[in-house]
Amino acid sequence: MTGSRKISQWLTNALLIFAVFMVGGPFLWVLLGSFKTEQAINNPLQLLFVPTLENWSIVIEGGSFTRFGILSAQVLPPAVLVFPFLAMAYALRLNDTLVAVTVAHISLVLPVVTWFLIGFFEAVPKEIEEQAQVDGLGRFAAFRAVVLPQVAPGLGAAAVFGFVLSWNDLFYALILAPGNAKTLPVAIAGFNTFRGVQLGAMCAAILVSVVPVLIASFFVQRRLVRGISGGSLKY
Amino acid sequence: MAFRYRMLAPLVALFVAVVGYPMVYSFWLSLTNYRITRTGQTKFVGLAQYQALLSNDSFWSALMVTATFMVTAVGLELVIGLGLAMALRRQKRVRDFTRSFLLSPMFVTPIAVGLMFRFLLNPQLGPLNLLLEKLHLSYDYFGPGTALFTLAFIDVWQWTPFMVLMLLAGLESLPRAPFEAARVDGASAWLTFRSITIPLLSGVLVVAVLLRGLDAMRVFEYVYAITRGGPGTDTQTIQYLIYQTGIQFFRLGQASAMAYVVLIIVLAIVIVLFRRMVKEARR
Repeated sequence: MTGSRKISQWLTNALLIFAVFMVGGPFLWVLLGSFKTEQAINNPLQLLFVPTLENWSIVIEGGSFTRFGILSAQVLPPAVLVFPFLAMAYALRLNDTLVAVTVAHISLVLPVVTWFLIGFFEAVPKEIEEQAQVDGLGRFAAFRAVVLPQVAPGLGAAAVFGFVLSWNDLFYALILAPGNAKTLPVAIAGFNTFRGVQLGAMCAAILVSVVPVLIASFFVQRRLVRGISGGSLKY
Repeated sequence: MAFRYRMLAPLVALFVAVVGYPMVYSFWLSLTNYRITRTGQTKFVGLAQYQALLSNDSFWSALMVTATFMVTAVGLELVIGLGLAMALRRQKRVRDFTRSFLLSPMFVTPIAVGLMFRFLLNPQLGPLNLLLEKLHLSYDYFGPGTALFTLAFIDVWQWTPFMVLMLLAGLESLPRAPFEAARVDGASAWLTFRSITIPLLSGVLVVAVLLRGLDAMRVFEYVYAITRGGPGTDTQTIQYLIYQTGIQFFRLGQASAMAYVVLIIVLAIVIVLFRRMVKEARR
């Protein structure tokens, strides 16, 4: 009995280690690529190479990468909303500006963040709000003084989640602002030409887009579950 | 006005402005021949755009491509995600790190994931092909018949973590008593899994598959980054076709009609699943 339990624990660990490698491998290859010269990239078997920072300086100097990009609402197909936004932007001469992208991203982030916060608000016991009213606070004052502090961690997680959505979106940004006001994903998509020098810079650009999001997500990891399930799961 | 309505008002106002109005506008667009290159000549054409879709082969083929992609990707994500979630639940050491690390792909910009894999699977520069070459094997990741499945695999890499997240939360919220009882009765692991874990988890499974499925339906970035719909129209997904119709051919009217058909399909799926869930809950 203990023998078979040991084996299954061992299998569990093996599966997890395998998964860690599956997730980590691609990141590692791109990380290596971002420090390779054009020549080293074209010679992938060469595992020893002299690292270069050239790719990183290309990316950091290119101004478009500092622009914010912003993911997609869970309910509506974005294709339903994007063309009205485009037509309105044309009519108002706001096409190819961040204003158009920003407004479109509100439609994208708002439903998700609203859904995300349901679970946090539901978790606040009604009694403390009622107690605050008994103590003489008005309804809104009670909400502000008692309920909001309780959901503050959730608000933080929702903000990060909304930020990630907006930061990662390509579809809206590509259609509404493909030229002058490129967001990061649109700029990354511009590395699509698979020739020479671009590859190393592309690796660096990918990592520039990934790192802030990974760091941000790390801090809210524990609250994500309750948020994503919109309160439909008890955590 | 009651307090609850006043609290709701800002949200509703914002929703009407950024979601409601564009939705109505989009429906109006789908009833016209609107082209962004000649906005002066826009005419109301009734249901003609929808009628045109009926005989539009690329539209039907794009729906099929998208459905194949969805079923392949979400199916694999469900199986792998459930396996990983159960393994993570039993893990004893370095739990927090493993969890954070395994969840990381879902936060990465999808276009970056697309380009990453284009690089990794590149026939000359990618490590995978080099490995295959050593073994005297060759495989064309983006050829006819294989490209769509490669894209589905990329989706699996990026979005299995979402499944894991949902299922792990589901597993951790299950009551302990039935499992204890099964253990006392000496039920095998497989029997416990099939007759206790799965039924208790079914609500979470449906929500997870639904969210993932709807998301997979609008796959765009991988197609845009790697295949641009090719070879032929093998990977021309519905979202990519709508993008092309609206942006490359400027036919916003036609593109909006396509988007509305997709919306109707999505609503149908959601309503059917939702009703089933309500029925299950009543039982």
